[in-house]
Amino acid sequence: MAFIEIKNLLKRYGKVVAVNHIDLEVKQGEMLTLLGPSGCGKTTTLRCIAGLEKPEDGDIVIDGRSMLAEGFVQPSDRGIGMVFQNYAVWPHMKVFNNVAYGLKFQKIPKRTIRERSLQVLEMVGLGGLEDRYPGQLSGGQQQRVALARALVRNPKVLLLDEPLSNLDAKLREKMRFEIKSLVRRMGMTAVYVTHDQAEAMVISDRIVVMDSGNVVQIGTAQDIYQTPANRFVADFIGAMNFISGEVLTAAPETDSTYVKTEFNETLLCKTPAGMLLRQGDRVFASIRPEDVEIFSERPEEKSENLIKGTIAHKAYLGNFLFFFVTVNGHTIRVQVAHYIPLEEGADIYISLNPQKCMVLV
Amino acid sequence: MTRGNVSLTAFLWSVIAFLVIYPLSVLVIESFKIAGSTGWGLANYLGFFKDTYYLKTFWNTLVLSTLVLLTTTLFGVPLAYILARYRHRGKTVFTALILLPIVLPAFAGVFAFIIFFGKFGTLNLILMESGLIKAPINFIYGTHGLVFIQSLHLLPFIVLSLSAGFTNIDPAFEEAAEVEGASGFWRFITVTLPLCTPSYLAGAVIVFLWPFTDWLTPLILGKVDFLPSVAYINIAYHFTDMHRKYMGIVAVVVSSVVCIVLFVLARRWVERKKYTGLSKGTTSEGRVIEPGPVIKYGSYLYMLAISFVVLLIPIVLGLSAFSRRWVFEPFPTYWTLDNFRAIFFESPLLIKNSFLFSGIALVFGVVFGLMAAYVIVRTRIWGTNALDFVITLMLAFPGMAVGVSYMLAFWKDIPLATHWIIMPLALFARRLPYFLRMAHSSYLQLDISLEEASEVSGVGKFKTFFYISLPLLIKGVLVGVVMFFIMAFQEISTAIFLYRGGWETLPIGIYLNWHRGMEFGIAAAMAFLMIVITFILLLIISRIGGGIMKAAWGPGPGGKR
Repeated sequence: MAFIEIKNLLKRYGKVVAVNHIDLEVKQGEMLTLLGPSGCGKTTTLRCIAGLEKPEDGDIVIDGRSMLAEGFVQPSDRGIGMVFQNYAVWPHMKVFNNVAYGLKFQKIPKRTIRERSLQVLEMVGLGGLEDRYPGQLSGGQQQRVALARALVRNPKVLLLDEPLSNLDAKLREKMRFEIKSLVRRMGMTAVYVTHDQAEAMVISDRIVVMDSGNVVQIGTAQDIYQTPANRFVADFIGAMNFISGEVLTAAPETDSTYVKTEFNETLLCKTPAGMLLRQGDRVFASIRPEDVEIFSERPEEKSENLIKGTIAHKAYLGNFLFFFVTVNGHTIRVQVAHYIPLEEGADIYISLNPQKCMVLV
Repeated sequence: MTRGNVSLTAFLWSVIAFLVIYPLSVLVIESFKIAGSTGWGLANYLGFFKDTYYLKTFWNTLVLSTLVLLTTTLFGVPLAYILARYRHRGKTVFTALILLPIVLPAFAGVFAFIIFFGKFGTLNLILMESGLIKAPINFIYGTHGLVFIQSLHLLPFIVLSLSAGFTNIDPAFEEAAEVEGASGFWRFITVTLPLCTPSYLAGAVIVFLWPFTDWLTPLILGKVDFLPSVAYINIAYHFTDMHRKYMGIVAVVVSSVVCIVLFVLARRWVERKKYTGLSKGTTSEGRVIEPGPVIKYGSYLYMLAISFVVLLIPIVLGLSAFSRRWVFEPFPTYWTLDNFRAIFFESPLLIKNSFLFSGIALVFGVVFGLMAAYVIVRTRIWGTNALDFVITLMLAFPGMAVGVSYMLAFWKDIPLATHWIIMPLALFARRLPYFLRMAHSSYLQLDISLEEASEVSGVGKFKTFFYISLPLLIKGVLVGVVMFFIMAFQEISTAIFLYRGGWETLPIGIYLNWHRGMEFGIAAAMAFLMIVITFILLLIISRIGGGIMKAAWGPGPGGKR
């Protein structure tokens, strides 16, 4: 049974459709990430769950209670916690009052409020800073205040709207793990919005990739990276070489397809499950840079998907080496994990592993 | 788009409809009535524009506006540049002094300058005693005096808007011009000034419109052939002469139309013309130049000279306030507190009225302004932008138009004018934009997620406003509160048409004391008292300078925070 159910959700701004009739389910205790480029509808979806936007159609059910069907439930009555992109920490209140704010409007004894707030502050690593004003805190600390404030009422659902995007790279990486373990420990159901694929992959149990108001793919980080549903997902998550071509032979009984590429080579590719291809279909033979092998001489043992090319550029990035290989005027990116002494201008061979090369449309 | 917000908007609109739209439309309708009959028509307007006298007043007003604008621009451009760009000592003091006339009542300057520059005023007497001149020079009575006094009153608007413009220019634009080989004056003409045009225009339109609304200065200087003065004389003194009354009403409508049209056009133009660069803005200080010694001392002298003239107003009024029988001598010789005794003990009513009316207007203004700012900024209800527009227009409306229209509208059918509440209501309607613009821009700067964060913390909209929004708005709003009070406190153009015996305020008292030829010292003491009160209010909020431009133009060209 899903803890949050989003059914047929539609949100328009004037004529622009921000969220286009989407369906989603979030399981209890799950960390679900909405991932996509800006304007894909991920933040709007989150704000609809929070009640900060009123959708035109559809329903949102949280823990069995409808938020829309039986009258609009105000954000203050939804039992949610939310971390905003710009933290939204109230500058006129001390850290303690920021965190205790929501509790003060409930009928809770003062002592309990104090204990609970201090406990949560301790949990997010801000113990001892409760008497500071937000202006006296660093960005990272303000972020933690926002987190503590969202957690203090023990909400059924925690919503996080790009909470790390204003932090510097180092801190961002650290906070990903902290947030993940904190939410796990509290057993909360969380919806996380980000445009950063690495963040999404680290933090989530499942990822929802969105594009122009639609859900494109739902799955674990591994699913989405290894078997992207289409070209958009493959391009948005990680790097991918797209070689356009047309289907030469489609063999529905096997999971392999031969694709005649734009540079007149025939490539053997895997067909994603459930994709029906006909001869002559325009497709992309797609392969990730790290799945391409590079050889200075023609290797004897490889025969499939071996292409001759020239190194146009190379870049050394420490933990790996990047080659831009030109094949008949088209560029293929190759990433190798070990050092190969090849120079720009050298003629080489690349092998596109048939197990990793997939057909995408 | 909740039902609560819709009914709030409806309420605000009905207030505006009752206190602004209804009276002003009564005024317009009245101007089409034909005297002595029940008929309608354009007769009044035709009569007005066919009469060479009224045409001349219209022309005179235009000429005066142009002269005042030229004068303020000529003196304002270097002044704004000095204040915005040069690093010098006493910058704050000079800025404060030069901006002072904004908050001084316009009539205070007139009285002070009559005493100082008049036919047998201080300056003439000093010059004659020293034997430099035989007969007194006419410094002040006439168009040149009018231009001088109005220019001094309006100079701050030009200086404020231009120096905001100079400060806000990304230094990179000018540096690029210098790299390309245009330096100094040439750079100033080709890059700096053009980039400032939107800011300049924002101030210039206020300056240009002033002669279309200022009836009192020409009246006191005895040069009355200008639209607002003629309108005042016709309506206030010749109410029984139907023809003159209608000519007065037409004059009011004509100057209102001129004001509104120019104001709206200028705003449109400023909105459209706001230059946007790819720059990430500039430092709050903008570009600062270390001038050479000649320019440095030259600019000191220049600032000192203007500050001196500004300071003459409180000094001369102060001298006059604490003395009696200051006639035919350059400085008073008989010092006394009699004037103040007269104000405090014989007619304390004026002070009480001033505080009472302005205070009530302020309460209305703040409550209304906060609600209006909320619906304008935070909701997307139909009609809120129009509400904002109508309220902002009140900035350009001549005070006289409000006064005359209230007199016409709230007399017979809705006899509100028979009760003193009409005074604070009129002040409220007239000064509304001063608070609303402040509340508006503060609200714009209040990040909505701060309010949303409160709502998702389980706190309803209403409590959120009091615990989150209001405390965060207070600082910006406070400037608006004080500005509103100052502007309401010194209001005379509207009040002069509405007051009855017992409802006089300080400004009206000043006018009456001058007009009835009573003790000039009492008028001066009242004006001095008003300056002191204003000054105390200003001390409460020190950053009033950027405030008033912001009040008039929103967060746009008036200055960046």
